[in-house]
Amino acid sequence: MVVESLPTGVVMVDRAGTIVLVNRETERLFGYRREELVGRSIELLVPGRLRSGRDLSGVRKDGSDIPLEIGLNPVDAEEGSFLLASVIDIGSGKRAEEELRRSNEELERFAYVASHDLQEPLRTVSSYVQLLSRRYRGQLDADAVDFIDFAVGGVRRMQQLIEDLLAFSRVGTRGAPLVPTDLQAAFEHTLASLHAALDESQATVTADPLPTVVADAGQLAQLLTNLIGNALKFHGADPPRAHVGAERSGRMWTISVQDNGIGIAPEYFERIFVIFQRLHAREEYAGTGVGLAICKKIVERHGGRIWVDSAPGRGARFSFTLPAATE
Amino acid sequence: MAMASPPIEILLVEDNPADVRLTLEALKDAKVANRLHVARDGVEAIRALKDPGSATPRPDLILLDLNLPRKDGREVLKEIRQDEALRHIPVVILSTSQAEQDIVQSYRLGANAFVTKPAEIDQFFQVVQSLEQFWLAVAKLARP
Repeated sequence: MVVESLPTGVVMVDRAGTIVLVNRETERLFGYRREELVGRSIELLVPGRLRSGRDLSGVRKDGSDIPLEIGLNPVDAEEGSFLLASVIDIGSGKRAEEELRRSNEELERFAYVASHDLQEPLRTVSSYVQLLSRRYRGQLDADAVDFIDFAVGGVRRMQQLIEDLLAFSRVGTRGAPLVPTDLQAAFEHTLASLHAALDESQATVTADPLPTVVADAGQLAQLLTNLIGNALKFHGADPPRAHVGAERSGRMWTISVQDNGIGIAPEYFERIFVIFQRLHAREEYAGTGVGLAICKKIVERHGGRIWVDSAPGRGARFSFTLPAATE
Repeated sequence: MAMASPPIEILLVEDNPADVRLTLEALKDAKVANRLHVARDGVEAIRALKDPGSATPRPDLILLDLNLPRKDGREVLKEIRQDEALRHIPVVILSTSQAEQDIVQSYRLGANAFVTKPAEIDQFFQVVQSLEQFWLAVAKLARP
């Protein structure tokens, strides 16, 4: 019988709830041999007390619980009517998901606490090195001044790294609820906050009419700020230009930020979204390599994805998807 | 002829010795004569303020850190504001925190100002000097 080798547990019960047939997968799932099951009540495998709402649990022979998904099909045969149930163990997937969620939460908590506690000793180092330079200025030779500058530079960089790590961890821990949010307003807000950088780089930033999406407004502005900020930062010989586009596909909007900057080689398309990954020397472009990692985390929190299309010298287009606010 | 007024007494409640020394260094250049007394945690601070046998004179100004061992700055502030003999003393919160919640809570508990310790030393010195300038020179302190 084909039922025997199905990868799904199959149990057939009569109208009284007595098991009349089980397959091999059912034996494996519950840890019983079929002789132990046939003729017994279905209560043995799926006790009524565990059947609540959509969450269904069975009990193995060893007494442990097993979260189940059960599909029921009535079967009418000459001998009477039966119920054919297909049984799937959903525990392994659910457990892995739960563990992942917990470990992510712990990581975020750790990053947050560590960031605060790490800042304090760092501040002490930086203060006293600067105090040395302040107090003994004029008595120090050029080497000593250089050494102090390196020490202070190192501390500043560490402070920036910690702050960025904190910002990264906050995407998960400090997010606001996802509600219908005007992308146009977020875009205008972003331009206002980038005002100084826009002026300085003589940049032109344009946009299509932008839709309403389901999002956390603060994180949406942060996302646009990081992407448009990158467009300004990684500019080529011409003054930077950036355009924000919007295109609807089904229930999602694809938002893109196109620039005319230095571009990115395809082999780095994945790597740029990983935290602390950078493609340039610090003297060329400042930064800690956190901006795009934050973008990715924000987009994924909204159930979307982010990617880049680019070629060296040909500008870059960063695109991400966000759920539309209206059907 | 104006009489030289007695030096301003400042109580600094701070557990980090590096920050204590830094505040001391910044106050060295102060134009108004002052004496800095230090309590290393909240319990020590309350003892310095309330114990009749305390070696610390009653301060004219209190600089208070929020996160302290044993008894934290919020509790110290609350006790100061509940004490008839101490409640007139200006309390300036000097903390690394920038959290909105810490700021709001401190003012609700009766802080006179909330100052975040800057990371850059020039700014730190500036902050201490402007505190000094305002509280020791501009403002008139109650010295009952």
